[in-house]
Amino acid sequence: METAVQSLVSGVLTGALYAMIGVGLTVVFGVMRIINLAHGEMVMLGMFGAYFGLELLGLDPFVSVVVWAPVMFAAGALIHRLLLRRIIPGGELNTLLYTAGLSLLVANLALFVWTGDYRTINLPYAALPLRPFGIAVPIPLAIAFGIAVLVTGALWLFLGRTDLGRAVRATSQNAEAAVLMGIDVERVATFTFGLGTALAGVAGVLLAPSLYLYPTVGEILVVKCFVIVVLGGLGSVPGAIAGGILLGLVESFGAVYVSMAWKDGIGFLLFLLVLLYRPSGLFGVGKA
Amino acid sequence: MRKLALLAALVAATSMPAAAQTIRIGAPQPMTGADAPFGDKFKKAYSLAVEEINAAGGVNGRKLEVILEDHQAKNALAATVAEKLITQGQVLVMTGGRASGQAVEIASVCQRLKTPYLVDHPSADLITSKGFEWVFRNNPTGSIYPQAFNRFITEVEGAMPKSAAVIYDNTVFGKTIANSAMTFLRSKGVPIVADEAYPVNTLDFKPLMTKVKAASPDYFLMVAVSTTDAILLTRHAKEIGIRPRAFVGFGGGFGVADFPKQLGPLAQNVFSSAAWSGNPNDPVVKAFYEKFQKKYGFLPKEHEVEGYSAIYIIADALKRAKLTGNLEQDRDAVRQALLATDMTTVFGKVKFGSYKGPLGDAYTNQNVHSPQHSVLAQWKDGKLLNVWPKNNAETAYVFPDVM
Repeated sequence: METAVQSLVSGVLTGALYAMIGVGLTVVFGVMRIINLAHGEMVMLGMFGAYFGLELLGLDPFVSVVVWAPVMFAAGALIHRLLLRRIIPGGELNTLLYTAGLSLLVANLALFVWTGDYRTINLPYAALPLRPFGIAVPIPLAIAFGIAVLVTGALWLFLGRTDLGRAVRATSQNAEAAVLMGIDVERVATFTFGLGTALAGVAGVLLAPSLYLYPTVGEILVVKCFVIVVLGGLGSVPGAIAGGILLGLVESFGAVYVSMAWKDGIGFLLFLLVLLYRPSGLFGVGKA
Repeated sequence: MRKLALLAALVAATSMPAAAQTIRIGAPQPMTGADAPFGDKFKKAYSLAVEEINAAGGVNGRKLEVILEDHQAKNALAATVAEKLITQGQVLVMTGGRASGQAVEIASVCQRLKTPYLVDHPSADLITSKGFEWVFRNNPTGSIYPQAFNRFITEVEGAMPKSAAVIYDNTVFGKTIANSAMTFLRSKGVPIVADEAYPVNTLDFKPLMTKVKAASPDYFLMVAVSTTDAILLTRHAKEIGIRPRAFVGFGGGFGVADFPKQLGPLAQNVFSSAAWSGNPNDPVVKAFYEKFQKKYGFLPKEHEVEGYSAIYIIADALKRAKLTGNLEQDRDAVRQALLATDMTTVFGKVKFGSYKGPLGDAYTNQNVHSPQHSVLAQWKDGKLLNVWPKNNAETAYVFPDVM
C-alpha cells in the first residue's frame, strides 16, 4: 500500500513538471502549427539559467523564475520575429526541419561553451525530503510542483479570461476566422512562441534542482514531451496537462511494478497505442 | 638537386638515432563529457610520473611522452582513437582506457595491431580473460572488486546480510561486479530481494527506490560506473527512505570527492568497495600523496595511483627491452619485457600471470597480486577512510549504519 501511494505521489510530482513542458509545446503547435523540436533545448537553457543564477549571483533557483520567465519570453518572441516568421509560409515540413536545426545549433553551442560536464544544484534546505505519513516528498520537487501548478493555473485563467488569451485560442481554433475578427495573427503568433518558450524555460528552472544538467539533456526531454502532447491531443492545453501527469504515473508505476529497464519502454508503448487507436489524443480534442 | 639534398636531410632528421627520440605512450581517456574528471585525474597522474622519470634521465637516455586522445567515454570512439594512436601516433605501448566498455575495444585493437596495452584502471574480467597476449592489467578485475566486502561480511561477527538488494548499471562493468557480488552472496545463502539494472545516466531513481524499499533489504548494494549515477542513486535511496544496515557502493563514482560534496550529510557512512588497498600510513604511499598534493593541490585516490604506477611499470619494462628502432620489433620486445615484470609500485606488487578468477574466468597477463588489492572504505565527514581488511584500516567501521 505504502509503495503504491509513494508511486502515486512521485508520479504526480514529476508529472506536473512534464505537463508544464508539454503545455508550452502544445500552445505553440495550436497557434502556429509548428512542431517545435527545439523545445527541449529551451528547457535546457532554463536549467542552465537556474544553475548560473545560483553559482554567480547566489540567486535561489525558485526565486530566479521571475528573472528567467521574462528573459525566455523575450528570447522566444525574438526567435519567432527574426528566424521563424519567414519559414512558416514554407509549410509544416520546413518549420519542422528548421526547429530541428535550431535544436542542434543551441545544444552544440551549449556543449561548446559549457562543455559536456554534468552539473548539479545543491540547495542546503533541500537535502532531506519531507515525510508526511512516511511518504517521501523531496522538497525541490514539491516546490517545483507548487510553482508549476500556479503557473499552469495562471495560464488557464489567462487563456480563458483575457482578451489576448482569447485571441490566442481563437487563432488556435481557426486562424483565418481570427484574422476576419480583427485579430493580429502575426502578433499573436510572436506572443505565443514567447509564451511557449517561457513555459519551457520555467520548467527547466524548476527541474534543475531535482535533476542534473548537461547541454544535451534536451534530447531526453523533447522525446518525453512528444509522448505527453500526443497522449493529450496535439494543440490541447488540458490534454497536455493530463498527458504529463499520466506519463509521470506510467513511468513511476512501471518502474516499480514492472522493471526499471522497462520504464521508458512502457511510456512509448502507450504513445504508439494512442497514435494507433486515438490519433487525436486520449480525450479526442487534439488536431490530428 | 638541392631540393633532393634537403629532402634527404629531412628524412635523416625524422629517422634520427633512437637515443635522441622520445618514447611515445598512447593513452585514450575521456577528456570531455561526463567522464572528463576521470580523464583529468589520469592526465595528472601520468604527467607526474613522466616528469619524474624524465628528470632522472629518462629510460636508457630517452625521454618518455604520454599522448592522450579523447574518446569522450564512447566505446566506438575508443577503438578509433586507439587505432589512430597506434598507426598514426606511432606509439610503442598503450595504457589508459578509463572504463571497461572502452578498454574492451582498445584491447581488441591492440591485440589486432600487436601493440602492448597495460590496463591501469578498467576492471571488467573480460579484458584479461579473452586470452589476449598483448594485454596486461595491473589493477584487480571486477569480480575481484567485492573481495574486501566479501571478507568484511564473512569476518565481522553478525555482518552477514540477511537479505540484499543489488542495483547496477547495464554496462560491462556494472554487470560484472553485480554478478560477482551476487554469486558470492548466494553461495552464502543470502536471498537477493531486488536485482535491477538501470541505464547509465538515469535522471530519476525514485521509482526504482520505491521498489527497493518495498523489499526492505538488509544490505543495499549499488554499482555505478558514472559519478552522477552514484550520487543520484544514493540521494534518491535516502530520500525515499530505504534503511538497510549498510549502503555499499561499487565503482569509481562512490570514491570521488564530488560524492560527499554533492550529497553532504547523505554521504555519511556509505561504504565504497574499491580496487586499491593502499595504506596511507605506508611511507611509500605517504610520500606519493604528499608529492601529488604539492603539485596539484588535491589528495590522490585509486585512479591517480593507478595511472602513476602504470607509467612506472611501462618504464621498467622499457628499461629492460632491447629497442632497435623498428616499431614492430620494439613492441614485441616491450611485450616480452612486461611478461618478466616483477616489481613494486605505489599501487603494490605487480607480476603478470595466468590464473583463474573468483568466477572461474581464465585470466591472461593479470597481476597475480590482484586478490590482495581490494579494500572496503567508508565515508566519514567528507573523507573516505579504509575500514577493511583490518591490516589496512585507517579507522573503525560504523556498522550497522544508523544514519
